[in-house]
Amino acid sequence: MNSMRRLACLLVLFSSFPLSAQEASFIAPLAKSSVLLDAKVGDYLVVVGERGHVLLSEDGEVFEQVQVPTQSTLTAVSMIGDNIWAAGHDAVILYSGDRGATWTVQNYEPELERPFLDLHFFDVNEGIAIGAYGLFYRTVDGGLTWQPERHAELLDPMDQEYLNEIRQESEEFYLQELDSILPHLNRVSESGDALFMAGETGLLASSSDRGKSWQRLSANYAGSFFDIKAVDQQGTLLAVGLRGNAFVSESGETWTKVQTCTTATLNSLYHHEDNTWIAVGNNGVITRLQLPLQQALDAPASQCDSLSEVTTTQTADKSAIVNLVSVRDQVFAVSAQGIQLLDLK
Amino acid sequence: MTKFTEIAEKAIFSNRPIVILLFALATLFLGYQSSQLKLDAGFEKNIPLNHEYMKTYMKHRENFGGANSILVSVCDKSGNILNQNFFDTLKDVHDQLFFINGVNRSLVVSLFSPSTRFTEIVEGGFAGGPVIPADFDSSRPEALQLVAANIEKAKIVGRQVSNDYSCAMVTAQLLDIDPETGEALDTLSLAAELEEKLRGQYENDKISIHIIGFAKMIGDVADGAKDVVMFFAIAIAITAVMVYFFSRSLMLTLLPLICSVIAVIWQMGLLTVLGFGLDPMSILVPFLVFAIGVSHGVQMINAVEKRASRGMDAKSASMSAFRTLLVPGGIALLSDTVGFMTLLVIDIGIIRELAITASVGVAVIILTNLLLLPVLMSYLKLNKSDVEDFSEKESDTSTFWKITAGCANKSSALVIVGITIVLFVLGLIQSQQMKIGDLHAGAPALHESSRYNQDVFSITDKYEVTVDYISVLVETSAEACTSHAVMKAIDDFQWKMENVPGVQSTVSLASVAKVVNAGYNEGNVKWQVLPRNQQTLVQAMSRVPTSSGLLNNDCSVMPVILFMEDHKAESIERVVDAVKSYRDEYETDDLKFKLASGPVGVMAATNEAVSAAQDPMMLYVFGAVILLCLLSFRSLRATLSVVIPLYVVSILAQALMTYLQIGLTVSTLPVIALGVGIGVDYGIYILSTMNAKLKEGASVEVAYLAALKERGSAVLFTGITLAIGVSTWVFSSLKFQMDMGILLTFMFVVNMLGAIIVLPAIARLLWWRR
Repeated sequence: MNSMRRLACLLVLFSSFPLSAQEASFIAPLAKSSVLLDAKVGDYLVVVGERGHVLLSEDGEVFEQVQVPTQSTLTAVSMIGDNIWAAGHDAVILYSGDRGATWTVQNYEPELERPFLDLHFFDVNEGIAIGAYGLFYRTVDGGLTWQPERHAELLDPMDQEYLNEIRQESEEFYLQELDSILPHLNRVSESGDALFMAGETGLLASSSDRGKSWQRLSANYAGSFFDIKAVDQQGTLLAVGLRGNAFVSESGETWTKVQTCTTATLNSLYHHEDNTWIAVGNNGVITRLQLPLQQALDAPASQCDSLSEVTTTQTADKSAIVNLVSVRDQVFAVSAQGIQLLDLK
Repeated sequence: MTKFTEIAEKAIFSNRPIVILLFALATLFLGYQSSQLKLDAGFEKNIPLNHEYMKTYMKHRENFGGANSILVSVCDKSGNILNQNFFDTLKDVHDQLFFINGVNRSLVVSLFSPSTRFTEIVEGGFAGGPVIPADFDSSRPEALQLVAANIEKAKIVGRQVSNDYSCAMVTAQLLDIDPETGEALDTLSLAAELEEKLRGQYENDKISIHIIGFAKMIGDVADGAKDVVMFFAIAIAITAVMVYFFSRSLMLTLLPLICSVIAVIWQMGLLTVLGFGLDPMSILVPFLVFAIGVSHGVQMINAVEKRASRGMDAKSASMSAFRTLLVPGGIALLSDTVGFMTLLVIDIGIIRELAITASVGVAVIILTNLLLLPVLMSYLKLNKSDVEDFSEKESDTSTFWKITAGCANKSSALVIVGITIVLFVLGLIQSQQMKIGDLHAGAPALHESSRYNQDVFSITDKYEVTVDYISVLVETSAEACTSHAVMKAIDDFQWKMENVPGVQSTVSLASVAKVVNAGYNEGNVKWQVLPRNQQTLVQAMSRVPTSSGLLNNDCSVMPVILFMEDHKAESIERVVDAVKSYRDEYETDDLKFKLASGPVGVMAATNEAVSAAQDPMMLYVFGAVILLCLLSFRSLRATLSVVIPLYVVSILAQALMTYLQIGLTVSTLPVIALGVGIGVDYGIYILSTMNAKLKEGASVEVAYLAALKERGSAVLFTGITLAIGVSTWVFSSLKFQMDMGILLTFMFVVNMLGAIIVLPAIARLLWWRR
């Protein structure tokens, strides 16, 4: 009797095992124009978005949705050769080792109530996934196992000081507090040996050891940053964020505000050609920045008509653009209304 | 039967002055009543209230308004609304609409309503306010620029402001009960008020006003229906000329016309007495009554003439005509009446009204044209020249009838029946393709070029909104919108529906809450999801007001609104079928996805009701006709000879509807019943003479020739007269009247031909040995 009950309990436990509790994504004709959030390109293109949508394309003309074992919204994708990892809400991480044909779930923790917001692989074995409230996972075995990390050094010095005080009193309370005080980590980008991160409450940071330890960069801005990129050989950094805010820094120490001629949130930076970078954002905003920036530094909005370094335009449907990706000389916007071919001429 | 006619004849013709007096008094009384008859239209009359979908619709109408809304698009002819004159006008239109009696004041929405707000994401949270600030001064260009920026932030372009910024929308929901009188809302006077107070007052060389919605549509139909008076006059004139050519006597022309007009007066008077108004959609019925009256009147004068030419005086000719026509005429009219009554089985108010209006009218004709008309004719003084004319005419036509009677010889009968079978089969194949519902964009009752439909096209063209939407009402328990599981079910269902071909876009509390959630996360699209955390979910929901129409007070009911590309029956059916199959995956005891509300929801119910009604209606109409024929002829063969051509013609009429792309709708559904009801008259008149001769032992050919000589010219004549009368409807400003005109013309002419050509051929086959 007792053993029967135990068996029943075990069965219940087993059936509620998170990895198997998910529904497969629904193959929808409109997936291509659904909310899409990230794309990566190698010798093929992969796009991810809401409801577990994963679209593959060989040529940028035909997009095929593939079924994956989740309906959670996927916010980021990373690709190395034939390997694809995608991460998103419910702390889900999916993996495909065959160019997107078949998928498995590597991580799924809906009870965390935290989404991953970006994903980066250094090689086929090591990668990190970052997200809300300082969510930070690392794998060194291609995603077979993921270990959470906490990076208190991403907090601003005042908060760090406060946390150190309570840590001396109680390690448990410290961890609890750290969990709720860490900012959203929005994006990570690699440039040479350096890794950069953009996040909530003005967070910009760099790392030289694949993100094991971080140094804060301060742009003196309290709003959120959504992307940071090294934009030239000299290591000049450009960061964009909330309400059209953009800052540029030569060394990462001193930052200067860039006039972007928009108040729309800028979601990401894209290297278009030579010295031209493009920032894309909400309301279909496309801001073209001509480097090196000089006139646009600290320029008031009233000068926008005469700024030759900055041109801001808007797409017709005004849907939020999250990322740009280029395939065979064509540039696609990954937007809230799907994947759209852009004419940047 | 003969005893009854004899008694009736005696009672009536020995008391002629009393009969006339009674008729005069009744006509005076009902004439007064009919002058009180009002045009009357109501939204609910047009929908099948007992249909499952409409029960859901009625249940939730209070919370979500219904399908009875009014959309007013105010456009600046310069193509840009950002100017003082436009904003002043828009405000006036908003205020004016607000104060029109019958408008639900809590649901008037435009740029000027306080509920039209914008929100934007700023460092540290949201900022927002009304799109038009309290201190708005339309004369300041900066104020207009601010409003323009707010419009964009509020994301209302395509809904409250047209995509090209040339128009802005004021929308309102209508009440069903007039708050001032407590009675049902007078839709037509509301429509007139909209026309006068909005369009009349504010449309000028700078501003154009476009108004759509059921109330406006029916108002325009009522305006168009007023043309019917003109068509009526034209019909009377044509009929008068025709009857004169037929009778070659002024008095014999006037009397049937007068009696038929009396029938119309009685019918309209009786409607008032019964407490009905005249709906614009059934305004054609008085005309039909007149036409049927004339057709029976012509039979009567035909009979009198025939007898007069044999030397009878007016009185005995009339008495004899009365005697011979009372039974066939009575049977014919009774089958019309019963035919129309069968429409009562269709559970749509307006069709039931039509059934009552039409059957009352036809029943009245039994009195006016079978009884009053011969009594009046008995007073005529027939002079010699008239009588000579009659006999002359008879000899003119007799050769024609002899040729026609050839239809009843064996070889031609076989050919005719063969051709009929071929036509029937072709018709049957084509009629299977008949579409249910409205096939074209805009309001089907009106022409494409009508102002109303032009307004529909202008609004659907300039805005993303469409009037073609269907709401699926999600019924669940209180506070269900704070449950992630429930909201995810709604969201998944909605997404699947959005992927159904024919669905243009969708909205629900779930989809809006996702956008709000992104808003709470600095407008980051990566957060455009339903939060699993309950507090976060509640926070997102709390920003969606009940005035959005996406939830009720305790969010136990949440509609999923599906905007459609069109309202073609097949699109509607596809979407409804998809709802039925997808909802199974998500429904639990506590979570139901109920069809349906919104204009297309109403159409879905109506289409289903109409297509479900079609077969029973045909069955009842033909059942009634067959029964009455069996009773009067007491012969199965005679009955078959009458009914088979009728059935073939009604199938051909359906084929014609397919061919002309006329869908089966509330307004075209009754046409077949009306056509059968009226068409059977010809057959009954022809066959009643034939049947008598056949019973005496005559051959089919002889019997048929006798029938043609006796009734043929009257049948031919009535068919043509009725057809000419209804064919003028082709010029009507109302599309549905035009459709009905075409179909009725077809049914009148072809039924007449059926009675003259196919009927004898079938009789020939059935009485093969004679």
